[in-house]
Amino acid sequence: MTDLEDQCGQVCTELHAAWAIAKKDIRIYYLKPNIIVSGMLFPLFMFLAFAVGRPADPTVMIPGLIAITILFSASSIEPVSIPIERRMKTFDRLLSAPISLHTVVLGESMSGFLYSLGIAFVPLIAGILLFQTQVIGIAPLVAGLLLTSFCFATMGTLFAAYPTESPGDIMSMLNLVRLPLIFVSGIFIPLDQIPQIGHFITYLSPLTYGNDLIHAAFAGDPHFNPIVDIVMLLFFILVFQLVANHLYKKFNE
Amino acid sequence: MYAIEALSLSKRFGNIQALSGVDFAVNEGETFGFLGPNGAGKTTTIRILTGISAPTEGTARIFGRDIVRDTIAARRQMGIVHETSNIYTDLSAWQNLMFTAELYNVSRKDREKRGSDLLELFGLSERRDDKTNGFSKGMKRRLTLAMGLINHPRLLFLDEPTSGLDVQSNLIIRDVIRELNKTGVTVFLTTHNIEEANLACDRVAIINRGHIAATDSPERLKHTIRSVQSIEVAFEPVSLVRVDDLEQIPRVSEVRKQGDKFRLITEDPPGVLDGVMEYAKDHHIRVISVKTLGPSLEDVFIRLTGLDIRTKGVKTVD
Repeated sequence: MTDLEDQCGQVCTELHAAWAIAKKDIRIYYLKPNIIVSGMLFPLFMFLAFAVGRPADPTVMIPGLIAITILFSASSIEPVSIPIERRMKTFDRLLSAPISLHTVVLGESMSGFLYSLGIAFVPLIAGILLFQTQVIGIAPLVAGLLLTSFCFATMGTLFAAYPTESPGDIMSMLNLVRLPLIFVSGIFIPLDQIPQIGHFITYLSPLTYGNDLIHAAFAGDPHFNPIVDIVMLLFFILVFQLVANHLYKKFNE
Repeated sequence: MYAIEALSLSKRFGNIQALSGVDFAVNEGETFGFLGPNGAGKTTTIRILTGISAPTEGTARIFGRDIVRDTIAARRQMGIVHETSNIYTDLSAWQNLMFTAELYNVSRKDREKRGSDLLELFGLSERRDDKTNGFSKGMKRRLTLAMGLINHPRLLFLDEPTSGLDVQSNLIIRDVIRELNKTGVTVFLTTHNIEEANLACDRVAIINRGHIAATDSPERLKHTIRSVQSIEVAFEPVSLVRVDDLEQIPRVSEVRKQGDKFRLITEDPPGVLDGVMEYAKDHHIRVISVKTLGPSLEDVFIRLTGLDIRTKGVKTVD
């Protein structure tokens, strides 16, 4: 067998193991009450609290609701599952398996990714059926849903690297980041109306690019070129993956 | 080729030196016991040998593969049974086995056959599809061991496999370890049960304060402390016997109460026996049995680790 075939075989093995980890999380955690509350109900109530009563165009509010839903649902699985698995010592199984740490991070992120993709269809379909919003760009919608979901699922896995056995510890830290993100990423305040001084923070938020891409699918007038949104989301995914890998290695010494 | 080679392993956590120059080798097909008091460095060593943690200095090889540089290939050779029965309690026994098999890249056909065989072997077939949160401690332990064997490992790490288990689970697990050894699987066993190590292991290493104190077969280790002999005496009525009085008998260096018997440690068993008979006569007590004993592996352990294990707890003697 050549080196190339050997490497391809190893990649397939690692992807298979990542999928096994994701399947395990799907079976165990998707219906846990704290996942349902933080992944489904929390974004809905956040949205209602800030959007109800405001005169807003559904083509602006529905993409915002989808983006918030993805942010909260994608980043909710691992901050709950990984501390529980640390407490039960089952996380040691993943750390001692013949797979790389990148695969562990990927597999854990995949379950959050798939969860948020499923949940994101609820506001998407509700928007189309109840508010008569129209999707005018399938490509940015698909790219926006996939990349934003994966980006925030990886962010959730990154935060879950913090070596605690209590999901509450990680959720508290995560909310310190998630809650400000929804106010600086163009969801409730359009990016054009954010003061110049706030743009620096806006550009550091992955939600800005996810929301912009989904917004482009409905309104067709994105703030950035969709290619920029896609590149920035890929950049954040890469950074989150690398930092998560580093932290899991460091904290498990 | 050795199954395990630990070469000058050291591990430092901040100011704490957890391991210092740990060296040992485990032969293929050997059952190797790794003994030591709490905090001696057993867990740190296992974490290094299984690639979870990297040594600060030194190297370790599993069947010739460097555990740091070639971690995945080294791990493919091993099965790991952690100290805690770390199974997914929201999954069934079958799902737990299949998940582990997928992590170890066992093919679908092989994992289904192997999974069924292991459930049968460990007496869990009837509970195959039940969620494991209803399993007893022994059943969870047996499933943990089955999960460690799903990938046909050449080397099995067993961390306290029988600690606190019921008799049935204990017997099944000990029997399986014996059978594994017959088929050439190398077993690396850590245990607090010194008698278990004495019976199961070809060789043992005793680690203390991050250093290997001794590595040899149980019998040869016992020979190194032949001076520690003892006599075991049973009296009637036992309530009249005082440990302090027995310690006053000439040439008795230590007395341990073991159930309804007393073990008198000495270098001169015949001389002490005379003293015991005299003590019994003076106190109107009957001696109902006497046994002369050589040093046990526990004596070796106590001597090498500097611990004195008494009924009231553990104390340092050096």
